[in-house]
Amino acid sequence: MSGPAASREAVRLLSLEEESRLFLRLRATLVWETIRSMVVGSRLRLSLVVILSGLFWAALYGLFVEAFSFLEALHADVISLLFNAFFSSLMVMLVFSTGILLYGGMYRSPEARLLLTLPVRAETVFAHKFREAMWFASWGFVLLGSPMLVAYGVVREAGWPYYALVLPFMIAFVTIPAAIGGICCLTLVAWLPRLRLHALSIAVAGICLLAIWLGWSLVAQPRADAMSAVWFERTFARLAITEQKLFPSWWLSSGLLEAARTQPDGRTSLAGLSEAVKFLSLLLANSLLLHVLAGWMARVAYRKGYSHLAGEVPARRRRRAGLVDRALIGSDAAVGRPLRLLLVKDLRLFRRDIAQWSQFLIFFGLLGLYFFNLRSFNYHNAYASMIGFLNLAVVGLILSTFTTRFIYPMISLEGRRFWILGLLPVHRDQIVWSKFLFSFLGGIVPCAGLVLLSDSMLGLPGRLIALHEYCCLLLCLGLSGIAVGLGARMPELRESSPSKISSGFGGTLCLVLSSLFIMVVVVVAAIPTHLFLLARTLGPTVIAPDGLLAWAGGPMGASASLVVVTVAGLAATAVPLAMGLKAFRRLEA
Amino acid sequence: MIEFDHVTRTYGPKTAVADLSLAIPRGELFALLGPNGAGKTTSIKMLVGLLHPSRGTIRICGHDVVADPRAAHLHVGYVPDEPCLYDKLTGREFLWFIADMFGMPRHLARGRIDREIECFELGEFADDLAESYSLGMKQRLVFAASLLHDPGVLVLDEPMVGLDPRSVRIVKDLLAARTSEGMTVFMSTHTLAMAEEMADRVGIMVRGQLRFLGTVTELREQVALEATSLEQLYLELTSPRGRQP
Repeated sequence: MSGPAASREAVRLLSLEEESRLFLRLRATLVWETIRSMVVGSRLRLSLVVILSGLFWAALYGLFVEAFSFLEALHADVISLLFNAFFSSLMVMLVFSTGILLYGGMYRSPEARLLLTLPVRAETVFAHKFREAMWFASWGFVLLGSPMLVAYGVVREAGWPYYALVLPFMIAFVTIPAAIGGICCLTLVAWLPRLRLHALSIAVAGICLLAIWLGWSLVAQPRADAMSAVWFERTFARLAITEQKLFPSWWLSSGLLEAARTQPDGRTSLAGLSEAVKFLSLLLANSLLLHVLAGWMARVAYRKGYSHLAGEVPARRRRRAGLVDRALIGSDAAVGRPLRLLLVKDLRLFRRDIAQWSQFLIFFGLLGLYFFNLRSFNYHNAYASMIGFLNLAVVGLILSTFTTRFIYPMISLEGRRFWILGLLPVHRDQIVWSKFLFSFLGGIVPCAGLVLLSDSMLGLPGRLIALHEYCCLLLCLGLSGIAVGLGARMPELRESSPSKISSGFGGTLCLVLSSLFIMVVVVVAAIPTHLFLLARTLGPTVIAPDGLLAWAGGPMGASASLVVVTVAGLAATAVPLAMGLKAFRRLEA
Repeated sequence: MIEFDHVTRTYGPKTAVADLSLAIPRGELFALLGPNGAGKTTSIKMLVGLLHPSRGTIRICGHDVVADPRAAHLHVGYVPDEPCLYDKLTGREFLWFIADMFGMPRHLARGRIDREIECFELGEFADDLAESYSLGMKQRLVFAASLLHDPGVLVLDEPMVGLDPRSVRIVKDLLAARTSEGMTVFMSTHTLAMAEEMADRVGIMVRGQLRFLGTVTELREQVALEATSLEQLYLELTSPRGRQP
């Protein structure tokens, strides 16, 4: 027997346990295949990720050991306050990040569209996407939180039960804000679909205002008070807002502090351990309850919400040419017209892609906020100079992430539309040059402004500011050259996702070369200045007047460093660009 | 097998599907035609449960797709206009996942998977990751997955997009064979030649309204034109100044 009649006997609805097992098996296969593909196809990237994560973890661990040793000597209560502040802010971030990730995964992904047409429970699909969102939202917590908690245990000389409890505590904790984020997401989409953006914007704005107020009130105190008893009291009072006994962050902080408690003879305190287990049980019980609630919500609201969203009419957006567009297009001069038109096109795409400009704004905005607050700290001359160079490196590193993520894939993405450009009277070189100009002009304005802000707040002399600005110019040129040149040299014309293009071999190479280039420029430019200031501050006892260090810190050293920096900048610009232009001319789309 | 009972779907102030009533019996191949924005995809999304009707009910094999979606989906195979696969699963692993989802016994699933792989000529790449597939290969795999459990109802949204002529022939032969065995096919298409060649009945939607329902012969009689091809009849019906049948 075949056909539909037979099918009714061959198919059946799965039980909840069978569905869960099936999705767990699917997840395991997908994770295994992803890891295997990375090991086979992206060794460079994987090695970099592992090595850099290890270094990052070790650096954080060292930093936290020093910090906890200092704070233990100062006042034990400070640690409780810091734990509460850290975990409560993390809790808020996890609610938002899980909610946003779930929104994308449950309502906007092709996978959800496939799964909702299969005979599977809505709550099982939710659980499947929830696990994914929770992992993506909380891996940063694991990377940041684990060195902190291990360092705390080491400083407090905690027994093994503390280390055994750290992971269960972390897992029990992260599931609570993640479940709250999931419930909020389901509720907003199912019952307030038109208000979801407004609700999210208001909540984010409220949290940001609170964070800015708290941050500002902490750093905007008079300099003379810094680190005094009064300063500590004020700071404690402000942070006390995070110590709420109804918050899971408080249960986590208290549980961990109790687990690390030791008796005078150094053994683990049984009373502390019992309290820790009590807090862990509290976290677990709430986590499980919220999971049950989230599952029930998914059963009631997921399909309904999906239908609401799928039925939304996208708003018609009419766009007009901006001022810059008009200025670039307006001139009738034939000289550079194709280049100008290509620039305008890229500028429009950038303006209309929220993912690009929002990240640009957030990263450079946060950097600007930090630089603006530098005046609160009273740095000495040599120290201020070092901070200035470090800030220059940070500006360069952030720019390099943008050039790798957004500029490097531009040529590859253009390749997919090659039939449009290929039929136009535009020389291929002009396409590459337009990307380079777009990257350079887009980078130099915010970067130069940020470097100027940083140096002004640090009170650096004009000569040093000029040097930093010159280095910034070279960084913008070189980073643009590397990203555009490599993008043209190694295009991936079949790939449509910019994130996949930038995370491939070429993108990783671009990021590594960019980081090396930044290090060379900043270190070579910083050495003479730093040596000169050290010699002036500490005198000839530290730096012998006739030695190599003295030469490096003198006018000859400064000139040599300028030459090296200039050559490095021009080479980083010209060599990849030349390679890219040559390869792009030969490209067969 | 498929029943649309006074189904209306609105998008804000716009009515995408207006009071659609339609019954498609077992073993019929029904083709829904209409210009862009006529309401075809909305009807299909409602049929497979992705969209809920604003009013009315849709039943598949007697199961309401909103009130009891799992029972309804158990009898449906769906081929969307854009194939969705897991990039990091091979074609065979994807077919196993679908078979498990429908609770098929292992021995039966193995046989069906081999049958579909052979039928759609997937053998050469069935064990490669789906990320390396072309659009046509993906579409063939989605077809195979949708037929794996021998559904009572097969829903196709623009099924021939991305398929080469040989695959189109395979699909046409398969649809003819399966409908003769009792499978009901609900298909949205712009390919008029295919509708004319294969459909038992056609429906023509214009601005959310079902303007015509019947066989191509009935359409010719009702429109009473000299025109002989479905294309001419379709253009006449769907033009802004088109006549009512």
